[in-house]
Amino acid sequence: MNLVYYALQQLINALSIGSLYALMAVGLAMVFGILRLINFAHGDLMMIAAYFAAFALFANLPLPLAIGIMIVGTILVGLIMERVAYRPIRGAPDVAALLTSFAVGQILQNGTLLITRLLQKPSPLAFPVIGILSGVFAFGPITVPRVNVVSLIAGIVLLVLLSLFVTRSNLGLSMRAAAEDLHAAQLMGIDINRVIATAFAIGSGLAAVAALLYAVQAGQLTPYMGFTPVLKAFIAAVIGGFGTIAGAVVGGYALGALEVFLTAIPGIGDILPPGLVSPEVQTFLKTWLPGSLTSYRDAFVFVALILMLLFRPGGIVGRREREEMQ
Amino acid sequence: MKNRFLVITVFTIIASLVLAACGGGGGGASGPINIGGGFALTGAESSLDLPAANGAQLAAKEINAAGGVLGRQINLIVHDTKYDMTVTAQVAKQFVEQDKVVAVVGFTDSDSVLASGPTIQAAGLPFIIAGATSPKLPAQIGDMLFFACFGDNVQAAVGAEYGFKNYGKNAYLLWDKGVEYTTLLGGYFKSRFTELGGTIVLEDTYEDNATDFSAQIAKAKALPQQPDFYFISAMPYNVGPVVKQFRDAGLTGPIIGGDGYDTPDILSVAGPAAENVFFTTHALIDATGGTEGIKKFIAAYKAEYGHDPENAFAALGYDAMYLLADAIKRAGSTDAPAIKKALESTSNFPGITGAITLSADAHIPRKGVTMIAIKDGKFTLGAELVPEKVPAP
Amino acid sequence: MTASFSWRRVGGPLAAILALSVVLTILQASGLAFWQGLFVNLGIFLILVLSLNLSNGFTGVFSLGHIGFMALGAYASAVLTLPLREKGDYLPNLPGWLAGVHFDFYLGPFPSGFLAATLIAAVFVSLIALLVGLVLMRLSGHFVAVATLGFLVIVRVVLFNADNFTRGSRTFSNVTPYTNLWWVWAWALLVLYIVWRIKRSSFGRAMLAQREDRWAAQSIGIAVMPPRLLAFVISAFFTAVAGSLYAHFITSFSPTVFYFDLTFRVITMLVVGGMGSVSGSVIGVILVVGLAELLRRIEDATLLYGISQIILAMIFIFIIVFRREGLLGQREIALDRWFERR
Repeated sequence: MNLVYYALQQLINALSIGSLYALMAVGLAMVFGILRLINFAHGDLMMIAAYFAAFALFANLPLPLAIGIMIVGTILVGLIMERVAYRPIRGAPDVAALLTSFAVGQILQNGTLLITRLLQKPSPLAFPVIGILSGVFAFGPITVPRVNVVSLIAGIVLLVLLSLFVTRSNLGLSMRAAAEDLHAAQLMGIDINRVIATAFAIGSGLAAVAALLYAVQAGQLTPYMGFTPVLKAFIAAVIGGFGTIAGAVVGGYALGALEVFLTAIPGIGDILPPGLVSPEVQTFLKTWLPGSLTSYRDAFVFVALILMLLFRPGGIVGRREREEMQ
Repeated sequence: MKNRFLVITVFTIIASLVLAACGGGGGGASGPINIGGGFALTGAESSLDLPAANGAQLAAKEINAAGGVLGRQINLIVHDTKYDMTVTAQVAKQFVEQDKVVAVVGFTDSDSVLASGPTIQAAGLPFIIAGATSPKLPAQIGDMLFFACFGDNVQAAVGAEYGFKNYGKNAYLLWDKGVEYTTLLGGYFKSRFTELGGTIVLEDTYEDNATDFSAQIAKAKALPQQPDFYFISAMPYNVGPVVKQFRDAGLTGPIIGGDGYDTPDILSVAGPAAENVFFTTHALIDATGGTEGIKKFIAAYKAEYGHDPENAFAALGYDAMYLLADAIKRAGSTDAPAIKKALESTSNFPGITGAITLSADAHIPRKGVTMIAIKDGKFTLGAELVPEKVPAP
Repeated sequence: MTASFSWRRVGGPLAAILALSVVLTILQASGLAFWQGLFVNLGIFLILVLSLNLSNGFTGVFSLGHIGFMALGAYASAVLTLPLREKGDYLPNLPGWLAGVHFDFYLGPFPSGFLAATLIAAVFVSLIALLVGLVLMRLSGHFVAVATLGFLVIVRVVLFNADNFTRGSRTFSNVTPYTNLWWVWAWALLVLYIVWRIKRSSFGRAMLAQREDRWAAQSIGIAVMPPRLLAFVISAFFTAVAGSLYAHFITSFSPTVFYFDLTFRVITMLVVGGMGSVSGSVIGVILVVGLAELLRRIEDATLLYGISQIILAMIFIFIIVFRREGLLGQREIALDRWFERR
């Protein structure tokens, strides 16, 4: 095999996975930036989005309409979540909101399970195949699943649009002000409720798009599928710089790269063609980077997270977190 | 005052619990036969347990419609264990003490069996496992445990021998590290395959909830020479994406797997990519390619629940219930020792997942293993195989 | 601060303990495994919640990773008590010094091996907690919550991978069922007493002070690190004990048991009862365990599977929104006042 092609292939893998994580993480980061709320129910929002899309497609609606329903439905659920569960506890210690988000997630998960059973749909639910998102693009020996390319493109487009919105529009400016200092923003006459609702709406919308891509990859839906994405989104947001959109994006790609790296490098001693490197190097690789390291991937990622929290709480982007006055 | 109110609330809850728990009548020498159905209907295992529970309940309904067993109706009491081991242990005790069941069926995973087994064994009641395939379980629990399905060591051996004979000596092994079933299956495959003289050229793992396998695939692609076949030990919710992504990446060699592949999702998710895929399973759950019994089952399942059986576990739950009913009939009574003896003398019971034969020293059926091949987007019968040698549990 | 002995002060708690002993004896004698199991679960959860209260409720440092300590305690104690034959069967690759160890010895009818194994496991976990605490206690607020969550995940990954010690994803089984009502409630009462005394001591007041306002506390000379760290380590010790009790009750487990679901359930009990209140923890545990069981039966009867989790989550949200300090807040039920003349 060609080491260059291998590296290139893994790089593209990392970018695609990174785009997905970035989309998921931005929603989380926006809400945290303004409210200091870690919304663990974000993953369940994604799950709801996937179910909306699935049911719309089962009803034989054309794809654009199904996507529209999915996005609108998810935004609605996100807004309701904000109004009912999070607004009443604004101003409470951060931990209260974090715990509440767990509870909200439980309600969403079990509610979906109940409804799925009542509608006599199977669980797990097979996600309908979407023609244009299946298949691969092949460039010589490098193959990229189409859905990964779409993730990459969609991710970049949406994130560019988002940054334009945040920097150019009034509402976006208000959001940045609120993220900087919530109380000062209020004093300046900014309608906090509107800003927060917008943050939730945008976050939910982005999560919905990420959910669609994720569901296409996974092929199957269960009410509990949101758990892993939210964990990844969360790690991405923290590593990149929690509370900032730029941080979430950077973190998403960083996490994607880290994960692919942790899968691609261990075991590389086994796949190098003989003669490419000297036998000593190969043995070194086999002993110190055995394939079994891959299963420790999650642990490594969390260690990186903790190190980041300890030494650089601002994340890769490095925006200085204001001191927590408890 | 508020403290008093609180304490009174607490006691009210406890009191209502006691009242609720003192139910569970029935049984006796006539009246319905109480059978416990333990399943994790909510929680991470629900994608396997829910179909199994559906299958078992369908079976009970059919049996009752045909007159019941020994002239008595079957009362299948299903409790949801929520895939929580504490609840599972409590449910087992509930079956024994409050529901007063004569036997228990259920579960598709070893954790739940191990959490509930000791209680049921201590009570001396027969326990028929629908879908957990770890062959160590009878030794871990005791002699009242019976399987309706074959053990992982059996199907892995078949997979290894099939691959070795038909494709060659070099294999790639990929397995899900987070689940016992896939870990065991991969381990048994490796041991049988290397015993035959095969070589595993690359071994890799993925996390249970992964949806993107591009990193592992890139490694496999980068091998200096592609192996003769790929053995991928995966759960039903991963097989679709795994197969699809492997094929999309240009890895067209044969893929062999275990009964986790037995789900219609592999066809719907992987689509035309699912060619040249083989897997061992209990029986072919397919409305066109299956046996008469399977076709009837699929139709009945669809009529009852509104959709096709999700995976093979639906059929296993169905068979477990029928197996138990058959044993009770042959025992002529609902006494546990009599049922046990009847179970142990089961010979070629016509389950829809294959003929089940049990004996006093084999509580795991010596079923033939069905090798399914996916050709032209359909499940077809590859072969009915019995392994030459089986790795020890 | 010595308390003068008076029947009024001691009478209340003593009567409660007496009542408990009567209930436990009746339960034990009845042979009703279901109710015994319920009470064992009650006791184990009580130990978990009290320990978490010590760490989270008193010091305000929110640890989401305590179940990781429970997992380590469970595995460590089980590996120690597993008899030689089972060790050979299920853990064939243990390193030499561990393979020969089997804490299944008795002192007459008393399973001293079980006690020794529990203590050793708990000390081992406390040392780990000390290291973790030193690293993580500098953080605060949601950062420490997040970092401890990371600890939970790391523990799980390590347990999955160290399969020579833990059997990895394969279930760890055939643990000897030492745990019974007496063990659980003896430990529970011990933890109850210790946490109660800590709360009443100057040390406890220091903890509560720096929970209320970290900077104010520091400004009057209360050191922040030592109380936090000590509370963290003590709570880890007892959480590990709970892990050992759990392991020897349920006799089989795998790393999946000790993860978010269990964490959330314990936190629910803590929040419902009131962070910072010892009797609140008792009430919270009884309420949630009782409710969960009641709802489970309702689920089975109505086939509305999933409704119990929804209702419990809604109650949780309700409490957080309307009565954030929990049912009891930081107050306690004063048992001695029950005996006062009205």
